[in-house]
Amino acid sequence: MQELIDKLKLQLIDQLNLEDMTPEDINEDDSLFESELGLDSIDALEIIVLLEREYGVKIQNQEDGKKIFKSVRSIAEHIDANT
Amino acid sequence: MNIYINGIGNVSPQNTLDNSKFLEELVNEKSNTLWVKDPNYKEHISGGSLRRMSRILKIGVHSAHQCMTDAGQKKLDAIITGTGLGCLTDTEKFLKNIYSNDEGVVSPTQFIQSTHNAISAQIALMIQCKNYNFTYTHRGSSFESALLDGMLLIQENAENVLVGGLDELTDSYLKITSRMNMWKTTGFEQLDLFMQEGKGTIAGEGASFFMLGKKPSQNCYAVIKGLQILFKPQNVSSVENTINSLLVNNGLVKEDLDIVILGYNGDHELDATYHQLQSGLLQGIDVCRFKHLCGEYKTASSFGLWTASQILKKQHVPDILKKGEFEKSSIKNVLLYNNYNNSNHSMLLLQHVES
Repeated sequence: MQELIDKLKLQLIDQLNLEDMTPEDINEDDSLFESELGLDSIDALEIIVLLEREYGVKIQNQEDGKKIFKSVRSIAEHIDANT
Repeated sequence: MNIYINGIGNVSPQNTLDNSKFLEELVNEKSNTLWVKDPNYKEHISGGSLRRMSRILKIGVHSAHQCMTDAGQKKLDAIITGTGLGCLTDTEKFLKNIYSNDEGVVSPTQFIQSTHNAISAQIALMIQCKNYNFTYTHRGSSFESALLDGMLLIQENAENVLVGGLDELTDSYLKITSRMNMWKTTGFEQLDLFMQEGKGTIAGEGASFFMLGKKPSQNCYAVIKGLQILFKPQNVSSVENTINSLLVNNGLVKEDLDIVILGYNGDHELDATYHQLQSGLLQGIDVCRFKHLCGEYKTASSFGLWTASQILKKQHVPDILKKGEFEKSSIKNVLLYNNYNNSNHSMLLLQHVES
């Protein structure tokens, strides 16, 4: 799981252009949308694209999305359970 | 109808970020490609917004902010931009993404920001301006079209209109245009452009913004007296006739012109019109040139207008702009004539405003 989390952090930094950030700056348990990262709805779309393209995981239900996108760890757990 | 230029902003290959200075420290690179000197974008753009922006968005937003700060005006009746190629970097990325993902999932950010109007939209979003917002993409007359629209809006009682011209270089664009022999290939310093012979010029990019106003402010640079745009005129006489009309409509004769700024770009063929004008209608009038400073691009005339605005406000012509030697004790009337690829021609008449 930790390996997947570390890989996801790198992919998020790249996909969301989180300039000046390193994987160490992202706590896998912090909220993605209510933390210092300050992600917004366009970032949510970018993460959906990332998951579908890199892992073949589709998120079709908005309510599911809220739970899955809570943190890097919750995204990793969802990928692990669906691949 | 007088249209006043009450503020300017310019992000270019030269040091143009401080409006109080006018080409004092020149950039002179040995290259046929002139990229803008990146300002500290974080001055005007938050980190959250900045991370999504491509270069043209950054330089456009920064230049617009520089202009609004210079004019002391953020309440706008309109934001109008002109761009020949739009947000080319993001367009290229988006197209590559479509191809590599087999028309499947693609990045929404690149899609949103690949559109030509992303720049004026981003400026509006940042200052929460919900008024008229338009982008012209008319090849070599994109900036002039935006300027004309802004002038018409002022005539229709708009108070403050932000108008900008901008384009960016990309590696793909340079690769394609190089095959068309648009650029000189021999090594020389950019300020020596006009000493080179033969075909081709140097590539450039930049973003120049202007705050147009119905009334002159304390910061006023110049007044625009008229603008004419021509598409593929039949011959130089057509250009001369249009310039004459512009002068006559403003009660002037050619002898009233103190300076004419011409869009010479060092291409032997494309410069022919300027040479013919200099030996014809404009004979005896002192000439300035600017494309050795900014390079050639579809909205380079906006850099020319920045040059004219600074000359008229500061009543000073830096030596680097002069074609030949001359001194001016006062500068009242300036004509800016530019053509892009001998297709899109524009003439802009400007006057000094007493402070």
